[in-house]
Amino acid sequence: MDENTENPNTPEYMKRLTKKLEPSDDIVQNTLTIEGKKVHLLFLKSVVDPLQLQSVIVKPFFEMKEERHYAEYINSLPYKTKLPSGDREVMIELTKGNVLVMVNNQLTLLELKIVANNMVQEADLEPTMHGPQMGMSESLEININIIRQRYHDPSLIVETLELDEQSNRGIALLYDKDRVRPGVLDKIKERLQPLDVELVQAADELIYYLNNKKRSLFPTSLLSGRPDRLINNITAGKVIILVDGSPHAIVTPIVFFDFMASMEDRYHSYWIMVGAMVLRYGGLFTCLMLPGIYVGVTSYNPDVFRTELALTVAASRIGVPYPSFIEVFFMLIFIELLTEASLRLPVTISATATTVGGLILGTAVVEAALASNIIVIVVSLVAISTFVIPVNEMSYAIRICRFFLLLYATLFGLAGLVLGMLGLIMFLSNKDSLGQPYLRMYWWNREKELKAGKR
Amino acid sequence: MKYRRSSVKDILLTFLLIGTVILQSGCAFKDIDKRFFVSAIGVDPAENIENGYKVTLKIALPYGAIKESTQPSYAYLSQEGETIGESIRMLETHVDKVLELGHMKVIVINEELLSGSLRPFMDFFTRRGDVQLIAYVAAARPSAEKVLKTETKTEAPASVSLFNYFGDTGTESPFIITTYLFQLRRDYYMEGISPVLPVITTNGDHEELIVNKSLVIGDENESASLDDIETKYYNSLFKDANGFSYKTEQGKMRLLLNFDRIKMKYKIITKNGVPEAIDMKVTMAGEIGESRQRLSLSKLDKYDKMAEEEIKKKILHLLKDMQEKKLDPFGFGLRYRATRLQKDGLYETWKEAYPELEFRVSVDVKLMSMGTNQ
Repeated sequence: MDENTENPNTPEYMKRLTKKLEPSDDIVQNTLTIEGKKVHLLFLKSVVDPLQLQSVIVKPFFEMKEERHYAEYINSLPYKTKLPSGDREVMIELTKGNVLVMVNNQLTLLELKIVANNMVQEADLEPTMHGPQMGMSESLEININIIRQRYHDPSLIVETLELDEQSNRGIALLYDKDRVRPGVLDKIKERLQPLDVELVQAADELIYYLNNKKRSLFPTSLLSGRPDRLINNITAGKVIILVDGSPHAIVTPIVFFDFMASMEDRYHSYWIMVGAMVLRYGGLFTCLMLPGIYVGVTSYNPDVFRTELALTVAASRIGVPYPSFIEVFFMLIFIELLTEASLRLPVTISATATTVGGLILGTAVVEAALASNIIVIVVSLVAISTFVIPVNEMSYAIRICRFFLLLYATLFGLAGLVLGMLGLIMFLSNKDSLGQPYLRMYWWNREKELKAGKR
Repeated sequence: MKYRRSSVKDILLTFLLIGTVILQSGCAFKDIDKRFFVSAIGVDPAENIENGYKVTLKIALPYGAIKESTQPSYAYLSQEGETIGESIRMLETHVDKVLELGHMKVIVINEELLSGSLRPFMDFFTRRGDVQLIAYVAAARPSAEKVLKTETKTEAPASVSLFNYFGDTGTESPFIITTYLFQLRRDYYMEGISPVLPVITTNGDHEELIVNKSLVIGDENESASLDDIETKYYNSLFKDANGFSYKTEQGKMRLLLNFDRIKMKYKIITKNGVPEAIDMKVTMAGEIGESRQRLSLSKLDKYDKMAEEEIKKKILHLLKDMQEKKLDPFGFGLRYRATRLQKDGLYETWKEAYPELEFRVSVDVKLMSMGTNQ
C-alpha cells in the first residue's frame, strides 16, 4: 500500500481520499498500467467482490487496446452509481462497497459490493402453513428485488434514503404512487429527516423513532418479514420502509385490525377464514379480560356463575390464603416469567423450563393451596390465548393491558372491568398512526375510498 | 439515544403507586370463599309470633373434592320474625360468612300462607336486588321447612336437586308446573288471571320430593288446589307441556295414549257486548303407548272417538270447577280484556259474566300409529 501512495502517477484526489481512510488495513489504492494505458482504482477490499472486480474492471483493461475505449467501457457499465460531490460522501460510498475508478481523468463510481448476509431467510416471525415460505434477507438490495419481483407495476416507487446517523444506513421507501394515501409520504419523510439518533440498527428500532412519541404501548407501525404481507399492504396504499441489515420491513400507517390479520386468512376458503377470525378475536378478549373477569366474578358478583360452578370455585378456594386478585396477579406474573424465560433460552432448554414451570410448579402451587385449581386453568388459558394474536408486538401490548384491566376489576368489580375496557377503547380511538385513525374498522385503499365517498 | 432516556424516577413512582394500590381492593370486595350461597328459602307461619313468619334458609356448602364426595352437604338456618327481611337480617348474625342470595332459585311457601294476601311476604323478594326474578316459586305441603330439609337420595354433589324439578332443567313432566317469581307477581296483580303454583310434597320418610299437584291462588277468593290429573290438563292445554299421556277404559279395552302434539284454541263469544260462551277446540295427535288387547290398525278411528269423549269430559270438569270457585288460572279474563276495546267497566262486565259462562269444548284426537310395535 505504501508504494501505491507514493506512486507519483496517482492523482491528488485519490491520494487525499486514501489519507483520510488510513490507517485501515483494507484500503486498496491501485494503479494498473500497460502499454501507456493507465487506470487508478480505490476501494475497500473487505466490501468489494474480488471476482467481479477482476472480471468487470481488471480483465477488460488488459484486453482493450486504447485507454479511450476502456473509459467508454467503464462509463457504460450497469454498476455505475452517481458520484457525490463532497469527499465525505464519496468515502461513505466507498465503505458501502463501491469502487472509485479513474481513467482518462474521468472519475466513475462502480458498485461491486459483496454482502455476506444476503441469503433469503425463512419467514419465522409470522410462520404460516400456506403461502410463501421464504421471507426477506438482510440486504437492502435483495429485499427491494424481492418486492419488485412480486409487484410488477411501474407505479411501484422505490425511494432510497440515507439516515443521518453514525452508520449512514440505507433505507428504502416503497409504495404504489397511484394508491398511496396522500400526505402519508410527506409525514414519513418529515419524521425521518430530523432524526437525531446515534445509531439505527434495524427496522424494529426505526419504528420507535417513527412513532414520534416518547412512551407508547401500542405499536403504530407493523413489522413484517413476509413479502406477501408487504405486497398486500402496498396494494392497500400503505408505505413500506426497508432498512438495510434488517430482514423485517415497516408497514405504515396501520390500523389496529391489521395486527389481528394473518396472511393465511387469504389462503383459506371463506368460512375457514371466518372461523379463524372468530377464534383470534375470542383469544384476544380471553387474554385481555379473563383475569379481570375471574376477580370480578369471584369477589364481587358470584351470582354470574351457575350455581354448580359457584360452589366448585368456592370449594377450590378453600384454604387459599390470599384474596383472589393477589392470587391472579402472582400467577400472571409467574406465567409472564415463564414465557419470557422460554423466549430467551435455546429451544432445547426452553422445553424443560416450560415443563418444570408450567406443569410441576402449577401442580405444586395447587397442592400447597397457594392458588386454586380454577386460577391455574384461567392463567393457562390466558397464556395460550396470548399466542393466538398473530403479530408479536400487539401481543406484548395486550399482555400489559390485561394488568390494567385486572386493576380495574380489583377496584370496581365487573362494572370496573367494563369501565376499563371502555377506557381502553377510548384510548385506542384517540390514537392515530401517521394521521390515520387507529381503530378504523375497514381499511380501503384510496381508490375504493374515493368511490365510497362519491356514493 | 435522546428519546429513550426516560426519567427513572417517574417509572419508579408509577410502580410504587400501582404496587400500593394493588394491595387495596374495592369496597364491595368479598372473596367467594367468604360467602354462603343460599340455594332456597322457605317461608312458614311462625309458631311463636302472631302474624309472623318462620324463614328457613337452605345453604349449599362448598366441598373440597367434588369428585370424591358422594353426598351434597347443606346447612339449614331458621329464624322467626315479624317480617321476612327482619328474619334474614337476624340470620346474618348466626353465621360467619355473608349470606349471598344471588343463587337463591327456589322460594318455597307454606300452603297455609297462600290463601290470603301474598303481599306481606312476597314483597321482600321482588324488592331485594340480589334475588333473581327468575327464581321458581312453589307451595309446600305440609311445611316449607320440611320440604327444604328433605335431602333426596338422587341429589349429586354441587347440584341442588330442588332446582332440577322446574323449568325443564332436569325432569320434564306435564305434572310439574313452573312459576317464576316475576310471573307470580305479574299474574297476581293482573286482572283476569289467577296465578298457579306447583305444590311440593315429600313422602313419608322425607327422602323424596314430589311435585305433581298445583295450587290456584285466589286474590279475593279461597285458593283451590288442583290434583295431579287436573294439573296435567291445565299444564298441557295452557302451558304447552309435552308428554301428555291418557288412560282410557271401555269394557275390557284398556289403552294408554301418548300425545306428543296438543293444540288448543279458544274464542270468547260475546252477545251484545256481554261474554256468553267460550268455544274451545283441542286437537291432539299421538300414538298408542300401551294396551292389554291385540289392536287392529283399522280400528284407530274407533279409539280416537273413545278418547275424545273422555278427554272432553275431563276438560269440562276442570273448567267448570274453576268457574265455580271464581278462579281463572287460564287467563280467559285477560284474553277478554286484551281483545276488547278498553272502556270503563270492561273487567266488571267480565267478572259478572264469568260464573254464567258456557263452555263449548270440542276435542279432536288423531292417533297416528300403534307404537313402534306394529
